[in-house]
Amino acid sequence: MAEKIKLFVNGQEVEVESGKNLVDAIGAVGIEIPHLCYHPALGADGNCRMCLVGIEDGRPPLVPACKTRAVEGMKVQLDTDKIRKIQRDVMEFELVNHPVDCPVCDQAGECKLQDYYMQYDGQKSRMSVPQVRKAKHLDFGCGVIHDQERCILCARCVRFTRMITKTGELGIVNRTDYARVTIFPGRPLANRYALNVVDLCPVGAMTSQDFRFKQRAWFLTKSKSICHGCAKGCNIFIDHNREKYKDDIIYRFRPRLNEQINGYFMCDEGRMSYKLENEQRLTKPVLNGKVADFGTTVEGIRRALSQAQKMLFVVSPNCSLEEMRAIQQFAASQNATLSGYSDGYIKQGDGDDYLIQDDKSANRAGLELLGIDSSKTGFETAVAEADLLISFQNDLTRTLGAEACNQLKERMVLISIGSHEDSLTQMAAIMLPVASYSEKDGTIVNADRILQRYAVAVEKNAPPVTLIQAVAQLGGEITSLESAWDDLNTVVAGLNKVDFAQIPEQGLALTDSEVSNVAA
Amino acid sequence: MEVKILSAKFDIEGAHNIEVAKEHGAYATLDKLFTMDPAEVTTIVKDSGLRGRGGAGFPAGLKWSFLPKDLDKPVYLCVNSDESEPATFKDRYILVRDPHMLIEGIIICCYAINCQDTYIYIRGEYTSQVKILQAAIDEAYAAGYLGEKACGQDFRIDVTVHRGAGAYVCGEETALLESIEGKKGQPRSKPPFPAVEGLYGCPTIINNVQTIASLPFILAQGADAYKAHGTEKSSGTHLFGISGLVQKPGMYELPLGLPLLEVLDKVAGGLREGRTLKGVIPGGSSTPVLTPEEAQTVTLDYESMAEHNTMFGSGGIVVLDDTVDIVKLVENLIYFYHHESCGQCTPCREGLGWMLKIVKKIIRGEGSTKDIDLLLELCDNIEMKTVCVLSAACTMPVRSYLNKFRHEFEAYVAGGASSQSAM
Repeated sequence: MAEKIKLFVNGQEVEVESGKNLVDAIGAVGIEIPHLCYHPALGADGNCRMCLVGIEDGRPPLVPACKTRAVEGMKVQLDTDKIRKIQRDVMEFELVNHPVDCPVCDQAGECKLQDYYMQYDGQKSRMSVPQVRKAKHLDFGCGVIHDQERCILCARCVRFTRMITKTGELGIVNRTDYARVTIFPGRPLANRYALNVVDLCPVGAMTSQDFRFKQRAWFLTKSKSICHGCAKGCNIFIDHNREKYKDDIIYRFRPRLNEQINGYFMCDEGRMSYKLENEQRLTKPVLNGKVADFGTTVEGIRRALSQAQKMLFVVSPNCSLEEMRAIQQFAASQNATLSGYSDGYIKQGDGDDYLIQDDKSANRAGLELLGIDSSKTGFETAVAEADLLISFQNDLTRTLGAEACNQLKERMVLISIGSHEDSLTQMAAIMLPVASYSEKDGTIVNADRILQRYAVAVEKNAPPVTLIQAVAQLGGEITSLESAWDDLNTVVAGLNKVDFAQIPEQGLALTDSEVSNVAA
Repeated sequence: MEVKILSAKFDIEGAHNIEVAKEHGAYATLDKLFTMDPAEVTTIVKDSGLRGRGGAGFPAGLKWSFLPKDLDKPVYLCVNSDESEPATFKDRYILVRDPHMLIEGIIICCYAINCQDTYIYIRGEYTSQVKILQAAIDEAYAAGYLGEKACGQDFRIDVTVHRGAGAYVCGEETALLESIEGKKGQPRSKPPFPAVEGLYGCPTIINNVQTIASLPFILAQGADAYKAHGTEKSSGTHLFGISGLVQKPGMYELPLGLPLLEVLDKVAGGLREGRTLKGVIPGGSSTPVLTPEEAQTVTLDYESMAEHNTMFGSGGIVVLDDTVDIVKLVENLIYFYHHESCGQCTPCREGLGWMLKIVKKIIRGEGSTKDIDLLLELCDNIEMKTVCVLSAACTMPVRSYLNKFRHEFEAYVAGGASSQSAM
């Protein structure tokens, strides 16, 4: 823990962490200092002037809190007439040339200008002269749309492209109230994290081409989850809404702070992977080419299992630990070979040294942890002998190609238990639809061996059966998350001291052998 | 009244040429300089009472002493010749008429603060001036005063001229540093101050052209000779640029402390025939205006100006007579500062443009007394809420015009356009 120091805010003594600036230090104990340009990941710039606070006996007496380090004994004046007036005045200046087009602005409901106006301003406009007109609806590339009139020139987006992606596509040109954020002519945003500027923008100046005009922010339910786009496991919010008479639909993913994993950001590919949770979803079971009900299809799979000589189960590296364990247990009971072969999920060389990983699956480390063989040779040996193959959400066409899978289909009974329609589910003789990660609970291990829990985010009108339930119905012994946890605790050496019900929000690093979150 | 210290060689034909300059004493102090201890030089400058001539009047020797001791980083000297303050035209005389005095001053300063690299940041519009300055620097290199073994000593001094791109704000010392570093010229938050963390993150001294050019005299004649001119706290001489509605506008070197009106009468030839004084801008457009009554008692030094709630500034005196339309002057003033706001801080960026539009509205005859009050309030709301003092350079004088000449604004509000013509 960082060292604590004592200082005074509005005459009241508070204990804060040392080494932080006033915005963060005092903010951590629940006292807000309004700020627009400061962002913890981008550092202090000091341009918005919204965080000006008084320092009693200080030199100078008025300082930007974002640029001022918390010091022992400091007397910070925040709730004074003088500071309140400055906040009101700065808000007035922010708004004189702002179009105040909240009714048609996507940021409405999650806009700092709106929030701060209500909290710190509240006065009527005194602007009786024409506003500065600037450009609107500028396509900055990567799905980012910019409105210069709404922009408050906090430069968060500019600093993001300079400090985080180091691509520097954005800049502020011109001086005075003609200043505007722009791209170089013909050089749009071209980085894989560009949409973060939409989140960073405290106002509605940066909007997402994909999201704009789809939903009002206040209708969205914001559920915590983990991105399954790659092995990083970035923490996200799933923003979804169930409109009247419709099903629950996901409208966007947004990064959720986790210092240990993704910080404040996520990649655009992961962000846009929300679409996969809405689209091409399997809902109706298929038995021998015909739509069937769930029970009949389960019966059909059981029959096929009883008739098979050599069975091969293939599990997806995207399955949760609990699902992997349930399938592993079921495979053992059926005397089936279990493979996690999924090389097609790895895009060699696609990753970077920031967040994006080569491995496009969320829980490959889980396969290793459970000792599930993912080797090509292991798979090839098993598949040569098999007369039945069940794919548990593993799209083998990604690894083997459609042609090879078609040949498998000719030689054996091909069964697919999956959440999404893919090339393999189309070939399968029997197909059973199950829930995807936004609709269920689970635990995954990321590329850095950090264990993370995610929970049901979206409740569909017809809740899909989870993979664990499906395996249980087929005859598996594990019937719930809890029974999977008990099993994992006993079977997996590295997890025997992990209390799955209590995994912290920041995740549990499995780096040391004695990892434990069980209370002593 | 005039004194020829800085301007000693101004009237000598060809003094920008090193041969002519040397004939008249240029570089004569250097032999003495290198026999001294650097700390001794700083002490003499401190003793001379020389104050920064850029406008703020900060004691030059004291500024140098803020440099951290025992450095493992280089020290930079930046000479501020971004002279852009309206009504200020003193440094250009030095650059054009006696550039070798500046170079000699640079050598003295470099020796005192142990600096090898000097940047002269020159206003971009000074195109002919930069040519003369660069030619003089080239001459100084050729003559061995600058370069690897400057003045024959084991001491390197390199001088680089950096041209601005036309931004007033780059005369603000930290915006100047940003500009030299190749970035957009925007002032930095202080602290850290440049003496600790300046150019390229290294300790940096930024002095005005006239400050540096004063050094050869101080070193040659001693602190007391310099202090013989001026007042106790405002020692020495200053190049005053007197403009506006006087008979003999021009650049005059005067000791500090002279009565303003006496200078206007005796040096600048007084007002035009039949005109009366309306006001005096004492030291560049950013200094609050003085009324004729205030002008009666003010003297040309830092203390007297402060006592009269204005500033000494840059020595750019502008005389306003009864033909001047104050409202239009204020429009012109705000137009300038609005145009030159770097756009970084919200109050300055948005506020100055708003003020300009309000004044224009008043001039169109569409204003109300509420607008005058709003202008006054906006001055308070903007001033000192920003990273640098550019906004204050606008609001301080504007407030003074609003308070001292409110009746002229009210005349516009009451009866549309004033009968008075623009300046």
